[in-house]
Amino acid sequence: MIIQGRAISSGRAEGELVVLNEDFSFLGGVDVSTGDLRVAEGNISGKIFAFRRGKGSTVGSYTIFDLKSKGLAPIGVVNQTAETIVTTGAVISDIPLVDGIDIDVLRTGDVLSMDGDAGTIELPRLGLREVVTGIVTRGDEALFLRRSDKEHHFPRKWGGVSGRIEEGESPEEAAKRELMEETSMEAELVRKGEPFLVRGDDLMWRVHPVLFSGDAEPTLNWEHCDHRWIKPSDITTLDTVPRMDEVLMRLGLIRP
Amino acid sequence: MNLSAAEQRILDGEEGEGARKALELVIALGKIYGAEDLVPITSAHLSGVSYKTIGDGGITYLEHVSKESRVRVPSTLNPSGMDSVRWREMGVSEEFAAKQLHIIGLYGSMGVETSCSCTPYLAGNIPNKGDHVAWAESSALSMVNSMVGARTNREGGPGALAAAIVGRTANYGLHLTVNRAPTVVIEAEIDDDLFSHSLLGQAVGSRIGNGIPYFRGIQPDWEEAKIMAAAMAASGAVAMFHVEDHTPEASEHSIEGLEVIRLTNDDLRDAQESLSTVDDVELIAFGCPHLSRREVKEMATYLKDKEKRTDVPIWFCTSREVRDSLPAEVAILERFGTVLADTCMVVTPVEGMYSRTASDSAKACNYLPTLCSQKVHCDSFQRLMEVVL
Repeated sequence: MIIQGRAISSGRAEGELVVLNEDFSFLGGVDVSTGDLRVAEGNISGKIFAFRRGKGSTVGSYTIFDLKSKGLAPIGVVNQTAETIVTTGAVISDIPLVDGIDIDVLRTGDVLSMDGDAGTIELPRLGLREVVTGIVTRGDEALFLRRSDKEHHFPRKWGGVSGRIEEGESPEEAAKRELMEETSMEAELVRKGEPFLVRGDDLMWRVHPVLFSGDAEPTLNWEHCDHRWIKPSDITTLDTVPRMDEVLMRLGLIRP
Repeated sequence: MNLSAAEQRILDGEEGEGARKALELVIALGKIYGAEDLVPITSAHLSGVSYKTIGDGGITYLEHVSKESRVRVPSTLNPSGMDSVRWREMGVSEEFAAKQLHIIGLYGSMGVETSCSCTPYLAGNIPNKGDHVAWAESSALSMVNSMVGARTNREGGPGALAAAIVGRTANYGLHLTVNRAPTVVIEAEIDDDLFSHSLLGQAVGSRIGNGIPYFRGIQPDWEEAKIMAAAMAASGAVAMFHVEDHTPEASEHSIEGLEVIRLTNDDLRDAQESLSTVDDVELIAFGCPHLSRREVKEMATYLKDKEKRTDVPIWFCTSREVRDSLPAEVAILERFGTVLADTCMVVTPVEGMYSRTASDSAKACNYLPTLCSQKVHCDSFQRLMEVVL
């Protein structure tokens, strides 16, 4: 699958990922004689290095150049948010840099190719599945469903109405269809939230949040075993599927 | 990014590989901050001079860049790790000195003016109101934004060098009028002396981060403004300030509805206490930012008929121009300490010489603990001199 980010430093790279899901300073953060990270396990030489954002001393730009001149630099950098220090180091060292990528969906060991001119990264071994998560609100409460243990992904976890978007379907249509299949409810479409990625072991879900309002009671099919109407902010009390809070945030039901 | 035909030619490599790489960096930095185009600059001021801060990685980079590049606009350098002439007296090692002189030589070979000072706006590199420039050195860029009305963002060392090489920088942030408006009003009821402005800068920077303060109640001269600007950029990330009825752009923006913070001498005392971690010191250092001609003259007048009674070393840091132009005053200061040019207490390897340093500069007192492993004592020139008189 291909993820579109922002092109910052040009060039292409293909290789194995080292992921550090935090801010990183090249000055002090890496051993310049080996390429070993000092703040975590791993060695970034010859790898594509993904971390959230650069921090620390501006000398970090020169550290990157130093690594490059010793043949110990990463071959590409992926950031959530690029800043001056790492951008400078990447450009002067001819290392491609793409930002605007959610580091949460990347894992150390992933094989990745990146294009610093198009601003894209590609995970060739990972399939992409487009899915919807529908939330129905009634007054100040929202409907949450517990997945049955017959479900392959996330059995017994709490979530919304969910399912794959079929060929030719819009996210809204898919959510409406799933709502009917899973709860026999009809509800009024309110809005769609911005989609986001959720990482699985061997595939990626692109989750499209959809908001409904309705007042009927759900009649559950085999996919779910329980339901609850609770305040969206009480979602923390339930054991949910990954990133449920993100769905609620993108629908404007809870604050960041 | 919208590029002019001339810029596209540079990017296509028609003006050499050095210019192409430099423009690539200017564009990449602009992209991060959403710049839509580039703007021509009239001057640059470069940080990343001291061997202590840039290290061997920095030397490798400068060796590489200097092979294929020259600056297109007048460019000056920030303080280096030592006085280029008197480094032996300072206790700087032969190895450090050799590398430091090599760095300065590399900048010189690119056409950069090699007297190293953090106050280039006092002599040698003086922009006009409305000029776009690419300046690093947080205190100097704040001074030209605020007291001159020139326009620069907080450039880093390599970014400012790249801008100097192509004569352009990315057009975003403080290059745009809309981003130069004040974000908070500071009502200062403080004593009208230099040290109070140093502490005021400390108090404001730590409260407002990277905002743009609009001051009422002060009318700082250049000396007071520079020590205040330096402190605000060190305790916060303030790159510009306005002073009512005083700085050139103060009347160009509305301050309606802005938060008002009132600061008094009590707040300054708190700021001073937060900086000081020790009482007895091994070194007293003045000149962060570099002492102006007027400051050197005033210090000489104050010290002329006095005698030093203890052997605590004193550094007076200034620019080469000031030291060379005031031999009589420098001779007086030399009875009390060393008048250093090209360098300062923060970028020289002071940690190998002393462990407890005093200064009247809040900026120096912010950086001495982290960059130089010093315990610090922050107080005014007169009170620090009383210790040795």
